[in-house]
Amino acid sequence: MASVPSKLYADDVSLLMVLLDTNPFFWSSSSLPFSKFLSHVLTFLNSILLLNQLNQVVVIATGYSSCSYIYDSTSAPSHGSDQGRMPALCSNLLQKLEEFVTEDEQLLKEASAEGTPSSLLSGSLSMALCYIQKVFRSGPMHPQPRILCLQGSSDGPDQYVAIMNAIFSAQRSMVPIDSCYMGSHNSAFLQQASYITGGVYLKPQQPDGLLQYLTTVFATDLHSRAFLQLPKSAGVDFRASCFCHKKTIDTGYICSVCLSIFCKHHKKCSTCGSVFGQAQSEVPSSTNRKRKASDT
Amino acid sequence: MPQVRIIAKNFMDMVAALPAMKLDKLYDNSFICEAILRSLPPLAKKYVLQMLCVELPVNSKSMEEWVLPDGASKHRVAIDRLVQLRIFTETKKKGDVTYTLNPIFQTNLKKLLVYGVVLPREPMPSSVTVRRPSSEELEAFALEQWECFLLQLINSSQTERPSNISSSMMKTFQRGLVTQRDREAPRLTESGFQFLLMDTNAQLWYIIREYITSSEERGIDSADLISFLLELSFHVTGEAYNINTLTEVQKNTIKDFTDLGLVKLQQGRKESWFIPTRLATNLSVSLTDTSSRKQGFVVVETNFRLYAYSSSKLHCEILRLFARIEYQLPNLIVGAITKESLYGAFDNCITAEQIISFLQQNAHPRVAERIPSVPENVTDQIRLWETDLNRVEMTTAYYYDEFPSRDLFDGAVDYARSYNGLLWEAPDDSKKMRLVVRAENHGHMREYLSGQK
Repeated sequence: MASVPSKLYADDVSLLMVLLDTNPFFWSSSSLPFSKFLSHVLTFLNSILLLNQLNQVVVIATGYSSCSYIYDSTSAPSHGSDQGRMPALCSNLLQKLEEFVTEDEQLLKEASAEGTPSSLLSGSLSMALCYIQKVFRSGPMHPQPRILCLQGSSDGPDQYVAIMNAIFSAQRSMVPIDSCYMGSHNSAFLQQASYITGGVYLKPQQPDGLLQYLTTVFATDLHSRAFLQLPKSAGVDFRASCFCHKKTIDTGYICSVCLSIFCKHHKKCSTCGSVFGQAQSEVPSSTNRKRKASDT
Repeated sequence: MPQVRIIAKNFMDMVAALPAMKLDKLYDNSFICEAILRSLPPLAKKYVLQMLCVELPVNSKSMEEWVLPDGASKHRVAIDRLVQLRIFTETKKKGDVTYTLNPIFQTNLKKLLVYGVVLPREPMPSSVTVRRPSSEELEAFALEQWECFLLQLINSSQTERPSNISSSMMKTFQRGLVTQRDREAPRLTESGFQFLLMDTNAQLWYIIREYITSSEERGIDSADLISFLLELSFHVTGEAYNINTLTEVQKNTIKDFTDLGLVKLQQGRKESWFIPTRLATNLSVSLTDTSSRKQGFVVVETNFRLYAYSSSKLHCEILRLFARIEYQLPNLIVGAITKESLYGAFDNCITAEQIISFLQQNAHPRVAERIPSVPENVTDQIRLWETDLNRVEMTTAYYYDEFPSRDLFDGAVDYARSYNGLLWEAPDDSKKMRLVVRAENHGHMREYLSGQK
């Protein structure tokens, strides 16, 4: 019979994990004020929830030194059924966000401020992936998850390993990472994340029209992506960070055993402990040998 | 697979068929905008969102650039649907086709996005509404009302307590589902059986559709009714809403809905209120192809015995359609699928596939995990018994006998064959000259034979 429902979920039911950058160092210098940015994002979240009653939205705030879940559409109605759905989104989210920002500020004061003012993207990516794993394991029926990074602050090379690990685990579980980068220069991390996981990387040309970018590109469910023209990345910055000084490098040394990257020659790999050859004097031959070893 | 005549999901077609004026009026209500947006195909939803902030008309050519070549057909479907529902307005100018979003729809959606959804009406504080049913009670109420209604629909004699649905209303619902020849007990038609085997949401939509189409006869505007229904589905299950916030027409409608189990009415000391049940709040959800799956209750064994863990009379009635019910315990119906019981079902135009899919869909959780959930020998046998019936084909025919000569007989056989009407002739070696010809060729045969004499 045609009326038999073949599956519980329609094709376009999605779970959207939004990683919201709240880094004060970036937003204080941004051309688009945070309040405006937030109103664009809230409208976008509303529209996702409006598209399908089974859609889920989870927002994770990415601060300078911490990250936290600040909104989950599945748990929201339980403690706010009288307020309805969407107004609750705004009030709940804003309240949680405020708490988060204050807490993050506290942590920032405790820690000594040094290095690049980057956000803890690796942490929030991992949290998003954990949440998605939980959804995957909840049963055979689950919405299709995807991650959207709304990032503004520049990359923190010291998070390179953690972020790459998160990217590969997202790739393994077939979760695309979309990224909307608000900063002035392209983010190599996010470019790679979207490239590897099959998501979309976009750097809005006009930050004022953020909502239109969000609804046009990032509201597309995974099912419709097969039919729609979406922005393609022009070029991806594949540069890596070295493990020893956390600097982004063009050329460097790679451990032939564990593929760790170093900017200078070391006697011993700091990651796996293998002892490198002593042929420091014969530089060309040693690099040759190393390349061969790492190729195999 | 048999073609299902009753398609419950084309409620949106019904909305689309409304005249333009009424449709525009519908879009005044933001709940309808929301419900309709959700019922659209994914690509169409996407387009609406994309066009939301675009005030200028968009050229169809540039719209086609949004999709990859693979998606051209989906794109067409999406655009057609949007135009059909008057969400997109099509303008043709000098060979150029442009689309604009319906301004009313656009404004309403924008409001929804920016300010969020407000509930259609404020629920009453729980201090006023005493004796509010628990969610289980409400669920049970809805189920009982609905089953009672269905029982009444198929078999008016079986109901314990008659519901308040007027007989004329019942007649409209029964239209197409039940036939009644004079003096005879009403019989379910083929689509009636299919209706019974559908899931609750699909049944509900069928009934609601009939209700809406018949509303014009009762002098109620169908657009008003649709908007009220969709609005109702956005209320919160289990909350009480003051009945005085409704218009006079809506008050009457809500009484009908009570009989269907969509809402429960309660009377307080001063005021009365209605409490939407899950049936009502699921209405707009089931517009898309999602549906809440009910727990099954039927266990079929390889020896053709059937155990149904249910106390529902309706289930018993449905099973009785194709199985022999042997005895009934408080929570269990025991029956057997027999050749006779199935022949009874086939006589009523229920197909084997329908029965099998009913058994599979309603399989008890214990057996539902197994593959197949219904034993293969049973499903095969049901199919075999059905094909048994199709083994003999009936054709009305004429029988010719006692031909005066062999020549005439042979001539008649050839003549009948030339009209492709020959069904049977006596074998050559037998002395008897006999012949069977299709009834429609009888006239020709008569002419031929009388001409030969």
